[in-house]
Amino acid sequence: MIKCKDGSKTFTKSQFNDDFCDCFDGSDEPGTSACPTGKFYCQNAGHSPVTIFSSRINDGICDCCDGSDEYGGQIRCKNTCWEAGKVARDMLMKKIATYQEGVAIRKREIEQAKISVANDEAELSKLKNEEKILKGIVQPLKEHKERIEKAVEKERVQKEIVEKQKKEAEESESKQLKVEEKVDGVEQPPANNNDDKSAILDNFPSDQHDVKEEEASKIENKGEVADKDIYSLSREDLGREIGSRWTGKKPEQQYHAVDDVKNDHEASNNVHDEENNGYDTETDDDHQHYDDDTDEHMDDVGDEANDEFDSSNTYEPDEEVDMSDMEIESSPSWLEKIQRTVRNFMQAVNPFQTPVDTSEAENIQKEYDEASTKLSKLQSKITRLTKKLGNDFGPEKEFYSLYGQCFESKQNKYVYKVCAFKQATQEEGYSTTRLGNWKKFDDSYNVMLFSNGDNCWNGPDRSLKVSLRCGLKVELADVDEPSRCEYAATLTTPALCLEGKLKELEAELEVLNSQLPEFHDEL
Amino acid sequence: MISKSIRPLHYFLFLALFLFHLNSVSSWKKEEFRNCNQTPFCKRARSRKPQHCNLTITDAIIKDGDFTSTLINPLKSQENPDQDSSDFVSNHLILSLSVYQDGILRLKIDEDPSESQSQPKKRFQVPDVILPEFESKKLWLQRYGNEVINGDSLPSYVVYLYDGYEAVVRSDPFEVFVREQSSGKKVMSLNSHGLFDFEQLRVKKEGDDWEERFRSHTDSRPYGPQSISFDVSFYGADFVYGIPEHATSLALKPTNGPGIEYSEPYRLFNLDVFEYLHESPFGLYGSIPFMLSHGKTHGASGFFWLNAAEMQIDVLGSGWDAESSIALPSNQKRIDTLWMSEAGIVDAFFFIGPKPKDVVKQYASVTGTSAMPQLFATGYHQCRWNYRDEEDVKNVDAKFDEYDIPYDVLWLDIEHTDGKRYFTWDKVLFPNPEEMQKDLASRGRRMVTIVDPHIKRDDNYHIHKEASKNGLYVKDATGKDYDGWCWPGSSSYIDMVNPDIRSWWADKLAYTEYVGSTPSLYIWNDMNEPSVFNGPEVTMPRDALHYGNVEHRELHNAYGYYFHMATSDGLLKREGGKDRPFVLSRAFFPGTQRYGTVWTGDNTAEWEQLRVSIPMILTLGLTGITFAGADVGGFFGNPDTELLVRWYQVAAYLPFFRGHAHHDTKRREPWLFGERNTELMRDAIRVRYTLLPYFYTLFREANVSGVPVVRPLWMEFPNDEATFNNDEAFVVGNGLLVQGVYTQHAKDVTIYLPKDQTWYDIRTGTAYKGGKTQKMEVTDADIPVFQRSGTIIPRKDRFRRSTVQMENDPYTLVIAVDNSGAAEGELYIDDGKSYEFKQGAYIHRRFIFSNGKLTSVNLATTSASSLGTKFLSDCTIERIILLGYSSKSKSARIEPSNHVTDVELGPLQIRSGARSSVLTIRKPNVRVSEDWTIQLL
Repeated sequence: MIKCKDGSKTFTKSQFNDDFCDCFDGSDEPGTSACPTGKFYCQNAGHSPVTIFSSRINDGICDCCDGSDEYGGQIRCKNTCWEAGKVARDMLMKKIATYQEGVAIRKREIEQAKISVANDEAELSKLKNEEKILKGIVQPLKEHKERIEKAVEKERVQKEIVEKQKKEAEESESKQLKVEEKVDGVEQPPANNNDDKSAILDNFPSDQHDVKEEEASKIENKGEVADKDIYSLSREDLGREIGSRWTGKKPEQQYHAVDDVKNDHEASNNVHDEENNGYDTETDDDHQHYDDDTDEHMDDVGDEANDEFDSSNTYEPDEEVDMSDMEIESSPSWLEKIQRTVRNFMQAVNPFQTPVDTSEAENIQKEYDEASTKLSKLQSKITRLTKKLGNDFGPEKEFYSLYGQCFESKQNKYVYKVCAFKQATQEEGYSTTRLGNWKKFDDSYNVMLFSNGDNCWNGPDRSLKVSLRCGLKVELADVDEPSRCEYAATLTTPALCLEGKLKELEAELEVLNSQLPEFHDEL
Repeated sequence: MISKSIRPLHYFLFLALFLFHLNSVSSWKKEEFRNCNQTPFCKRARSRKPQHCNLTITDAIIKDGDFTSTLINPLKSQENPDQDSSDFVSNHLILSLSVYQDGILRLKIDEDPSESQSQPKKRFQVPDVILPEFESKKLWLQRYGNEVINGDSLPSYVVYLYDGYEAVVRSDPFEVFVREQSSGKKVMSLNSHGLFDFEQLRVKKEGDDWEERFRSHTDSRPYGPQSISFDVSFYGADFVYGIPEHATSLALKPTNGPGIEYSEPYRLFNLDVFEYLHESPFGLYGSIPFMLSHGKTHGASGFFWLNAAEMQIDVLGSGWDAESSIALPSNQKRIDTLWMSEAGIVDAFFFIGPKPKDVVKQYASVTGTSAMPQLFATGYHQCRWNYRDEEDVKNVDAKFDEYDIPYDVLWLDIEHTDGKRYFTWDKVLFPNPEEMQKDLASRGRRMVTIVDPHIKRDDNYHIHKEASKNGLYVKDATGKDYDGWCWPGSSSYIDMVNPDIRSWWADKLAYTEYVGSTPSLYIWNDMNEPSVFNGPEVTMPRDALHYGNVEHRELHNAYGYYFHMATSDGLLKREGGKDRPFVLSRAFFPGTQRYGTVWTGDNTAEWEQLRVSIPMILTLGLTGITFAGADVGGFFGNPDTELLVRWYQVAAYLPFFRGHAHHDTKRREPWLFGERNTELMRDAIRVRYTLLPYFYTLFREANVSGVPVVRPLWMEFPNDEATFNNDEAFVVGNGLLVQGVYTQHAKDVTIYLPKDQTWYDIRTGTAYKGGKTQKMEVTDADIPVFQRSGTIIPRKDRFRRSTVQMENDPYTLVIAVDNSGAAEGELYIDDGKSYEFKQGAYIHRRFIFSNGKLTSVNLATTSASSLGTKFLSDCTIERIILLGYSSKSKSARIEPSNHVTDVELGPLQIRSGARSSVLTIRKPNVRVSEDWTIQLL
């Protein structure tokens, strides 16, 4: 009597491979299809051995390259193990070669990354120091300026009161009609321009929910209108409209309208995000948001790694801040200079003088503006650097070199662009769809996740999963959309060329080679 | 503080998104479809009071074996429903009554053909639905009897119908009924309430406004009112069933009467309904105007009205006629119904039953039994809108193998075409369709592509070029090719009513015409209601014109049927009549069962929709279309994993088993939900594959007799009242009772097991006594399924990639004995694909177990096998399992080979963790094709 592998039963020797399932784990029938849970072992001399499901045995399909799974006579399988094995070995050798080179590159990059990070950190602490000093300057300037402003304001108000009284006396009688007209005009609500971003920003953040509510109700109204208007649609538009229910594709016109609203939604959301990122707590928001029209380029904060890459492929991690003038003054002396100037000013100006000396007030204002602009720029730089260093570059910082890089892949009419640690997009002509914002590494640094991309009509927010593979160059490939709006892609990078994996592959090859002593000569 | 200020914001966002969601993903648009009040003929019919009809019978004669007579209005005036007018064309109708074998009465009422010259047109009679051989079953009436009923002023006429049954034509008031000869009790009747009304065609006169408007659409109605309505009563009935397609309960709820909440009538009008509801009398994709009744006292009967125009049917709640003075026998339970149709003639069939299976057989003798499917079609189908390209197809196919999940067919939805031009391929996505199909076929798998009836109006599209040049399209009311809107944009519709055009279409399926098709490619007909995105109610205008100047209103419900027929004929033609076609259709009509398969259309991933799929499929089976299923998982939306698993578990027992999903949904192939759930779904699919020998045998039974593969409990247990409105459970054949799990996180389910039976849990073998409702625990592993005592079920317990590789695998027989220790079952086998079974090339065995002895008896008729071809099979029986049979025997003797084999305790299903608890005859290895006996020693 023999025991089943799982110990549940016993069977006799004659019941071994007798084409009747005795063991629930299939252990009595390793060579037949009798047990549903059984496994069959193909030796596959010349190639690697495999274990196949018992369902494949004598099913008329050659599964093992040595044909051993088809002994029932239904079909004659050619032994293809030698050819297949050769192909597999060649591929494996190529892979090993890639890994060997990749491992070396990876090592270099890790070294480099460590230096770069250290540089970044040094720069950061330097900047923080400067920030501290600058703050010490801006504060007294601000107080001074405010005192002057108060004085000026007081003068102005007094002047106005006098003038107003004068005017009122003149106009008091006959202008009632005019006033009414004016009221009418005021009551006209501002045109429903939901693309007026500045309006949203002005209201931001306290009125934000109102804006959204209004947008939402607009969308809702659109739906209703579409419903009622179905009567008035042309035959063709009606067809499109009804068909769109199944496809989820809104008839063109409407589709765009909805999209626009959506984009604005996101625009405001983005602003909101930055509001809350907590790096720029002490800066004046307005500067942050309005300075972003000036060109900006990467400064030289220890980012040597970038030089290796095509500049068109880099992105600016923080496009909001203008750092250009800072660079010129990026010597220790600029701080001293500013300190000196300010000290002089403070001594010269007497804020309690009435009437206010306008030229001096202007000077103070100018100095203050300059200093506080510099401060906010400095703080932005700190923010940016802090943010950068806050990223997860991998356990050995092996992904550091991907920072600031974008990788493109063209597929049919689309260009897919993946910017590590930032975002992923799909471009078609001039229109860009966000597939997702950088989220994190997943699956023990084998996958990059981008999530919360543009919403799909009638579907989820777009997202992208980038599977990482060992490769000598960083290249994006195989972009796919397995489910609607859920994208997938692969990215090769030396960062994934792990030494352990190389050893595994080498061992694998050794096993393969050892299995074909008779063919050794041919190798 | 922060939370206070943020919460309202979130709330608003949520609300806004919710509203947005509601609006954009809005479900069923009720207002876009006509209700009865917006449908003048329905409104008129519904508002009539009993005794409205004042027609009487005259001039009765027997002619050509039929009873014929004239229906005349003695008041010589005719109601004009649209406006007051005393003008009329004719004041009489012709009635004829025919009797057919097996208890079928046919009633026809039409305008007088002798007046056809003066009639504006001939009323439409639906062609090609009734089986040609049905006429040969006519009993030639020789005479009628006379009888005065209830002191009527005129004598009535009585004709023989069937042993113990006769048909009566009552003259005044006009009524037709079937009664039991001995007791005189009525079985079914027509016009007992005097609601019969027949709007006769007349010439349009000045001032007649016949147009009807609905939303932005105008129906010119050039022939004016022509509707027909009447009441039909079923006696001794507790419930009525049938008249698909509605997403509603199996036993039809009353739609009108005292105490009944306002309801629309059950509507029969083939429509493409976006996101249909799970509990509604609203008409869906197909229509079968066939109703069955069943009750404790009489049993079952049926009524079928062959009419393809829009129909509305009220099931009247008891007491609806309280104000009527008509006295109907009150000692009989009765269900009254009101039938209303926009056009056509009365061509109605009464089926006397009296057993439920008799009624479906009688119906099948008129419209045909379901086609014998190929074996592969009874396996699992994997579909999605859309498997995007050849690589996607390859990957999905490979994953089934990787996870060792069997499947037979991979489907391609509309995106595989070149711009929704059917019979073409997207050259970028599918550059090598033939290679793709051949690759699948090398592992025994088939492919199905979609072919819809709307043809893109594109002069470079060969189908359009030919169709427009040769006038093959349906015309609009002005006579131009009707131009509607569907997937490809501007589209026209092939006029499938014309047999010549159907034949032209069938030729398009030839391998030379359908470039890129191979013998392993089959077809899916969708959108054939027809769906017209910019038409009234998302379909074709009623005044569109078909072949023979027939208006679309007259044949709307049959359009999809003719399309399905033409496609099926095409597949038949392409292999010279040798290969059984497989065509799935969404629209259907009586007769559809002869051409293919049906599914319940665009359902939704909700528990309630899983629940309602059972009565929907059971109803289709009752009304002839047994090869039916619902999209596993629900078409719209994302099912949660538990729902998806439960759906697989139930659907594995339903005739057509296909997973399908909308393109906005997440991928949901069985391996995407973690190891445990993959295992559960694989188990569900494998259970189906092990039972395929049983299913195939049942498909053959349906093919021969018309009795459906899956049946409501009351069909098997017609005397067990507790089963009459049970539509949560069903029986597969007569042997397996399946109870689905339709709620989330269910820990137990309530099950009624029919009385006088013992039921064996098919997983554990545990025996349950029937006759009571019991609560049973459930786990996520499976749903409750029981084998009925007295049955033998054949299985194949080996798993393969697809049905193809199972061909030579041995069988397992599971015998569940009744209290006398006996059981019976059948096994049917043929080549699984050709029509050689019609020449006798099949194996059909009956297994009989009694007194500890199992006997295999040949059921194949000798005349059949003498036709020449023979089907051979080397398959053996590897295992015989006995449930409920206590025996100490250790061996069994097999005759005639006279060898002895072991009897031991084994598992009921082989799986890890199973217990060896059931008596098992090990390796009898007898051939299924031979006579033998096995005696327990």
